[in-house]
Amino acid sequence: MTTIRSESNGSSVAPQALEPWKTVKKIVPDEFYTSGHRTCQGCDSALAMRLMIKAAGPRTIVLGSTGCMYVANTTYYSTPWVVPWMHTQLGSSGSAATGTAAGLKALMRKGKMTQEPINVIAVCGDGGGADMGLSAISAALQHTEYNLLILMYDNESYANTDIQVSGSSPYGANSTFTPPGKVHRIMQRHWKKNTAGMLAVGHPECRYVATVSPSYALDMMNKVRRALSIGGPTFIHALDPCPKGWDYDPKYSHELGELSVECGIWPLFEIEDGTLKMSGRTKQILAGTYKRKAVRDYLLRQGRFAHFKEEDIAYFQAKTDEVWEKWLYPGVIPFSAA
Amino acid sequence: MKPSDAALARKPAPAKGPGGYPGESEELISGSEAVAHACRLADVDVITAYPIRPYDTVMQFVSQMISNGDFDCEYIIAESEHSQFEIVKHASAVGARVFAGSSGVGWLYAFEALAVTAGLRLPLVAMVGNRALDDPGAFGVEHNDALAVRDLGWLLAWVETAQEALDTALIAYRVAEDHRVLLPCALSCDGNFLTHSQSIVKVPSKAMVERFLPPYDRAERLLHPDNPITVAPQVNEDWLMEIRRQNDMGMRRARDVISEAYAEFNGVFGRGGEPFIERYMMDDAEIALVGMGTLAMPVKVAVRKMRAQGRKVGFVRVRWFRPFPTVELQQALAGVQAVGVIDRDYGFGSAFHSGVLANELRAALYPLERRPRVVSLVAGLGGREVSTDNVMAIADRVFDAASGKAANDQETYWIGVRE
Amino acid sequence: MSTGSIEVVYRGVFQKTLAKNICRGVVLAARKEGKIGIAFGRYGDSPERNGIPAKQFAVVSDTEEELEEFLARYEPDHNDVTIVADDTLCKGVESWAWSGLQPVHKLLKSGGTLLVTSAQPHAELLHDIHRKGSPYQLAIVKSKSSFSGMFVYRNDHTDVRILGALASVAPHIVSLDSMVAAIRDQWKDDLKVASAKRTYDLVKQIPVAADEGSTADLYSFDLPGWTEMQEGLVIRGIPARQQVPGWDGGFVPGRNPKFKKFSTRTLRPVINFDTCTKCTLCWLQCPDTAFDVAPDGHYDANLEACCGCGVCEAVCPVAECITMINEEAFEDNNSQWQMWAKDAKGYAAWLGKKVAKRSARSHGFHHVGLYQKEIANEAV
Repeated sequence: MTTIRSESNGSSVAPQALEPWKTVKKIVPDEFYTSGHRTCQGCDSALAMRLMIKAAGPRTIVLGSTGCMYVANTTYYSTPWVVPWMHTQLGSSGSAATGTAAGLKALMRKGKMTQEPINVIAVCGDGGGADMGLSAISAALQHTEYNLLILMYDNESYANTDIQVSGSSPYGANSTFTPPGKVHRIMQRHWKKNTAGMLAVGHPECRYVATVSPSYALDMMNKVRRALSIGGPTFIHALDPCPKGWDYDPKYSHELGELSVECGIWPLFEIEDGTLKMSGRTKQILAGTYKRKAVRDYLLRQGRFAHFKEEDIAYFQAKTDEVWEKWLYPGVIPFSAA
Repeated sequence: MKPSDAALARKPAPAKGPGGYPGESEELISGSEAVAHACRLADVDVITAYPIRPYDTVMQFVSQMISNGDFDCEYIIAESEHSQFEIVKHASAVGARVFAGSSGVGWLYAFEALAVTAGLRLPLVAMVGNRALDDPGAFGVEHNDALAVRDLGWLLAWVETAQEALDTALIAYRVAEDHRVLLPCALSCDGNFLTHSQSIVKVPSKAMVERFLPPYDRAERLLHPDNPITVAPQVNEDWLMEIRRQNDMGMRRARDVISEAYAEFNGVFGRGGEPFIERYMMDDAEIALVGMGTLAMPVKVAVRKMRAQGRKVGFVRVRWFRPFPTVELQQALAGVQAVGVIDRDYGFGSAFHSGVLANELRAALYPLERRPRVVSLVAGLGGREVSTDNVMAIADRVFDAASGKAANDQETYWIGVRE
Repeated sequence: MSTGSIEVVYRGVFQKTLAKNICRGVVLAARKEGKIGIAFGRYGDSPERNGIPAKQFAVVSDTEEELEEFLARYEPDHNDVTIVADDTLCKGVESWAWSGLQPVHKLLKSGGTLLVTSAQPHAELLHDIHRKGSPYQLAIVKSKSSFSGMFVYRNDHTDVRILGALASVAPHIVSLDSMVAAIRDQWKDDLKVASAKRTYDLVKQIPVAADEGSTADLYSFDLPGWTEMQEGLVIRGIPARQQVPGWDGGFVPGRNPKFKKFSTRTLRPVINFDTCTKCTLCWLQCPDTAFDVAPDGHYDANLEACCGCGVCEAVCPVAECITMINEEAFEDNNSQWQMWAKDAKGYAAWLGKKVAKRSARSHGFHHVGLYQKEIANEAV
């Protein structure tokens, strides 16, 4: 699809050209998010940070909105960040990215700073992104004159404040705000918000939206590299298993990440300039070369679903089947034409 | 693009400024437009806008200057005040000079961003077009909006005229960006009376402004790949007192920096007056009235009238509320018998049910050995006019307190309210 | 007139409910004797992360006035008993609540009791526990560490067993009778009462001398004052890499020197470099950037940075190439790759022994119903 651009606001530095890494062997050894953060054992969101910045490289500024990847990551005395990093407020990832990109652009255009493409990435959790920060992210994705990436690390709860349900939490999940009780077994009754799909559909000038899982590291890193290279505001949604909030042995982080894709709960895709491409396992499921696993295997592995009865598992399976059988595009557009 | 030159080219030959620099032009402009000129002259890099009356007029002028090519900056229309202030906060962190503004509940919608901007020591200059807080929706001036940030580390200035708005905006950048200070500054302009009223303003040339205002240099705090720092990591109880103390010291140091800035401003531009407060007919005054913003206009008229009647009354206009001009007010008011503080704000449930300025002033005068009585008055809320007659009635109460006729310093009087 | 305070040092999240049950149990039992008390977590640990050393406290006094001395505080600094809910904590504890690695008994008063849940004998534990500098008692509740998670509690009676032991080592704080009454109130379960009584009878204290124990490194940092801290909430980032002698051609990332995280670890990966195919997965999937790239392309778990999540073992495609082994079996954080590079045969022998002798350890929720099955198989 050809994109017609409107008049741009003055001169602009082209984004960094980050070629995809063909195999894991091509991945650089350099680390820009290093040891010494205070996240949980097996924290997949920490892994998402590490892979993200490894893919982006050293000429990057990262803005971190309030959440686990703020509170558990940086401590006054110390930090795990090698690249420049700055805190932003819970609902401000979109604004932080916009402000940083705008500041750099103005200073470079006006000759107050050396011209150079600097990646700007703002990260937010599902609480900061899918809930509180949605309007600011939406606004950022309309600012086509700025090169920026917003990465939402979705661990399906307000994990930093001790696991409270968010708009991105799955149906029925136990959380400290939705505990199963004697009268109400299911306190979390909504279906997970379709954030990446919503943002892609709602922002036709945003050139790149993708979903990723840190369990598929190469896929994730190449999507980050693509998002940063294409220019303009972009959005990536990562689903990160959370050993604390999902209640499982931390060694299963990787496996549960894979399972989320294999069960069809987390379809992997990318939408570039208006073209949708499914990725990896998701593509195979769609093509019929891989059989979608039952969600049961996924649910029973996590303490947050330990209160589920057979009818809850059946409901979860039926809703997941809908995503694949009724949605116009699985995981992207939740309706079909009449 | 040199917008100042372009602007000057359209004008008749400019007069020479006091230093022999290409001089000022005269313009018939509102307070909002004056602040927009200050942004242009300060070569602000990033501006964010969001509509709310009455401050939004400044953005209407900014956007027109940009579209006409008179001003080069990144101009972002945010989707909320919260984003508006978050965006400039982050632009400031990468070294951009920034400007934003708001009014009333819009300012409060941004409150979280306002708090962290001060905590982060980012020298944003913001215009507050003072407006009553909802509900009910109202658009006239009250000062409670800007005053809401008074304890967070914001520098707060109140101005009386469009000229002072322009001048103070330039001073604000210089003070806020000084490495001894590094705090955001809110420039309060009374809604309607200042934001929407046009008067003759001297608009300086860019060369004059450059002489006064050095470029913003964030130095070792710059967020840039060449200076890999971590900004605002989470802290526990082991750290926050030290950090608050740093902010406290930044605010304390602002006193000297403001004084220096006014001295320099007076030198370059030949105007600017005294930092912190303006003293009006205070020599030999027996009582003083105190207030902020455009309230000064009817008060000055009333003071002149009373002086003509032989009544020894003066007026002190507070120009900077933060840092609070404790010493200046002590000096200015130590000799009077009573002070009438006219608040265009309210402090429901506060000591004596007074407004914010009255209580702050009481605290400042308390240590004086011979302290004047303080009469607290609330007037002009919601943009209601304060008339000369109102001020004369206020003065009567203050004279009563001065002569000990009535214990008027134990009450707060609402002036011009229907019973 | 007296006050008694109890500290529970535990593994964040995994043992949060356990620690809460113990602290609440102490206060409710003391109430049976007319005492008044409080139970609270070390707020600086909150929200605690999986595995991180964390603390909860119970303080009981005869009178409210005496108790006030302990209110509105983070931690009582002279505890009668320090309960260690997981024996690998004996190697020292580092948390966000304080700076550096502290000995596990830092807040235990001289002559107090260190009560450890462990399958190890006293002598073994004293290899790990730092020298205190004053005498104290060491008591062991013979048991594997009980780990559960955020939502599903592993009700294996560890809570009441520790409460029973506590009544034995600190009868001046709460008696067995009160403890039993409180347990009965709380759980209405005779089996839990029996567990508490049995542990009361079994637990023994042995005296530990002031100079007994490990001399392994502890570290701490001086906190700078406001004039030394950079204004504007700015701290320096971490350098991209470290130059380590002997690692030329490899890659050792820069690391946060102020928070090392290894005291979070209960299991450590041991790596068979002879069978490793250098596939990159352990390195790539590590959330803690804990793997150094060795000059020959192997990946070596840096044991100052590794917090023992076990993802590397889970992703390793080669059978038994990476094995997670109970942390109790190790005495240092030395590089395994260097050991192997120097003496491959010696390393293989060392590795074989560690793997053969490894003891199982619970590390959180695996599957609905598994806790119940495991508990049924354990003699309570």
